[in-house]
Parts: sequence; structure tokens; C-alpha cells
Amino acid sequence: MKHKTSKETSRLTGAKMLLNCAVNGAAVSREIDTGLTLADFLRRELGLTGTKVGCGEGECGACVVVVDGAAVNSCLYMAAQAQGRTVLTIEGLAGPDGEPHPIQRAFAECGAVQCGFCTPGMVMSAYALLARRPEPARAEIVEALSGNICRCTGYEKIFQSVERAAQLLADRLGRK
Amino acid sequence: MFPVKIVRPDTLKDVWLLVKNAGGPVKFLAGGTDLAISAHCGRADGETWIDIGALAELKGIRLKGKKLYIGACEKVSALGENALVRKHAPVLFDSVRQYASPPLRNIATLGGNCGNASPSADGVCALVAEGADALLFDGKTHSRRPVEKLFAGPKRTVLKPGQLITGFEIPIRGGRGVYLKLAARKNFAISKICMGVSLKTGSGAINDIRISLGAVGPTVKRALKAEKILLGVKLDEKILDLAARAAVAAAAPIDDQRSTAAYRKAMAGVLLKRALRALCA
Repeated sequence: MKHKTSKETSRLTGAKMLLNCAVNGAAVSREIDTGLTLADFLRRELGLTGTKVGCGEGECGACVVVVDGAAVNSCLYMAAQAQGRTVLTIEGLAGPDGEPHPIQRAFAECGAVQCGFCTPGMVMSAYALLARRPEPARAEIVEALSGNICRCTGYEKIFQSVERAAQLLADRLGRK
Repeated sequence: MFPVKIVRPDTLKDVWLLVKNAGGPVKFLAGGTDLAISAHCGRADGETWIDIGALAELKGIRLKGKKLYIGACEKVSALGENALVRKHAPVLFDSVRQYASPPLRNIATLGGNCGNASPSADGVCALVAEGADALLFDGKTHSRRPVEKLFAGPKRTVLKPGQLITGFEIPIRGGRGVYLKLAARKNFAISKICMGVSLKTGSGAINDIRISLGAVGPTVKRALKAEKILLGVKLDEKILDLAARAAVAAAAPIDDQRSTAAYRKAMAGVLLKRALRALCA
């Protein structure tokens, strides 16, 4: 057996790894402790604190980000699992000129934000839904956001925002 | 950060080399939703997690003769979007929309759901109703075991150290199925009680039936006496009552934070009646 480099030993023991992924459109390559959750990686290593951690147990959905097009709870998703994948966070939604994304605009217009702590997770769950189902029925919106808890708004304005966002996105694409 | 280490094998073959090198407690990370919670609660210190979630050998949903194969590391959400699962595993398909939340379904896997061995696991309860076998591999020998016989108690499987669930095979029985669950709310809640019923009828009589019960005992189990009562008969109110009573007798629940034993027991009969009425209507 050939002599193992320290990097290779580290890979086998699992203490560290070189994580290569894309975050908000930019390639990221960083040596990380493998015990890091994706939420910790985004917040502490990359300074992307828009992603919130509420319960840390996958119950509240404040930490939802989009990985390869699918909404995931980043508090239960290890950074190591993002190897080779594409991660989108709330910071990656706005246009290059800082123009809010239609979902963000809809949340603001419809008054879907009160304390705001759940909002990034709600917006990212909505993003994943609308990418898959551009014209969702109300029941599909309710279902898609069922992993996101809000303690302020009572949900109605959030659901309305997603319907409004679907309209804004359709207008942008000239569909209607 | 969790005080755990994660190693990522490139192929299935590498898994057991990594198990050998770990030098401490080892767990397989499929999706990781249960492991991460255990770490969050301080129950995983010093563990090495072998991340098998991206291994191609543990993926895939396809027909294998008269069986439907599902890789252990397929995401739960993928099952709910799959035409083969919809057609050939109706209980499992029906369970997906009731399984945790959409973002958790995008991480969680059936292999992990079985490995975690919760008595209220929706994936397990659905697989037992489907009559699924778990396919096992320890690096040397392949074997199989009915899913209902995978468990020794709450959070305990009968798997040997280093033995891995690689996938599942569901016999294609051409019947209908339904998955019912009662919980504190409709979406994203752990069951007070859950039930899978898979059946086939011919000439008006039930000629094949499997009933699974979850969250009413230390492991997911079948309601065998209720199945026996229903097999070969045409459904009427008397049979429904008899079968429901047998389901109640099969339930051996406890009082806990989610429900009481008495409620769970009573609901075993109610759910079975609902399921049978829905499937035989």
C-alpha cells in the first residue's frame, strides 16, 4: 500500500474534508470539519446569516435552503452531503442589481413578514415549489409550506404571497 | 458543529474498509435526518458516520421480474413522484404525502427510516403492508429479510454490526392500498397511530390482504388475526366489526406525549374500518 498523505489520512478518519460545491452561483472550495451542518457552514464559514436556525431539529423550517432544486432543512443536512451540489440561499435570490426576487417582493407587498425569522425558510420553500409548479393550487402551497412554522402571521398572508409571486413570475416570463 | 466525523465512500465496496478504519462507534448515514437529531440532542458524540447517501449502488426504482426494487437511499420525495411506486406500491405511495414535511422528505430515505427502527415510522409501516423484503449486505454476503422482521424493539434492529440495508423488494400483487394516520395535525406530525392496508379482491371477496399497524407497540406489526378474518370473505358490517375488534386486540400501545393507549387502541378499529370501506367501495 502506498504511503498516505496527511490529507488522505484525514479523509479516511473523517475529521476534515475538502468541500466543493456551488453556493448562490459561485464555486466554493473549502476544507471543513465534517461535523458541520450545512446551516453552520453557510452561516459561520461563509457568513451567509440569512439562513436562520430555529429549532435545530428539522421542525420549524427556518433553515430551509434549496439544494439541487429541492428544499431541505439545512440544520439536519450535513455540509459534507452538499459535496458536488448546488446550494441556493436567501442571499442568492435577488438580481445582480439588488432587485428583490419576485417572491421577496410578493412577501413584502402582501404583508407576509412580521418578526421575519421564518421568512427566509418560507421564501426558499416557496422558491422550490414555484420552480416545480409555476401555477400551484392553494392546497399545493399549503402542503409545500407545511414544514415551515410561523408564530406571527397566521399563514394566510404567506399563502397569498406565494400566489402573488406565481403571478409576478408569470408576468416576468410573459406567460400571462 | 456536531462532535462526529463523516467519511464518504466512493463505492459500496469501500464501505466496509471505512467501517474497519473507523476505530469507534459507526453509523450509516443515508439521509441523516434522524442521525443529525441524535447528534443535536448529544447522543452521537464520537461517532463516525459513513455517508452512503450518494452511492449509486443504493439508488434506483425499477421492476425486477414480479417485484418492484427501491434503492435504500432513494429520497422519500422521489417515491411520491414515481409512476412505478404509484402503480405497484399503493400503500407506500399514499404514505409519502403523510411522511414528515416536504423538506425532510427531500433528505430522508426508506433505508434510514428502517435503520432508525421507530415504531411510528411511516416508511416502515407502509413497507410492511406492501410485504416488502429488505435486501441486506455485509460486504461479503447478500441476504434478505421481511421488513416486519427487521426490528427487535423501539430504535433497535436485528441487523448485525456492519450489515447494511441496500434496498427493498416489493412483490407486485396487483391490488389496492391505503395508508392512514392520526396525529395532532394533518401535516408534519408523528403518528398517534398509523396503518397500512393492502388488499386484492376477486368475485367480490378479499383474496389477499395485509394490515400493518404503527405506533401501537414496540415495533410496527401486522394485524394477523384481522387479516385472517377478512381473507376469502365478502365485506359486510358484521365482518367489518369482527376485523376491527381483532385490530384493536392486536394493538398494544402505551401512553406517551402523543396520545393515550386507550385512544390508540380504539382507533386501530376505526382506521381499519375506514381503510376497508375506502378500498372495497
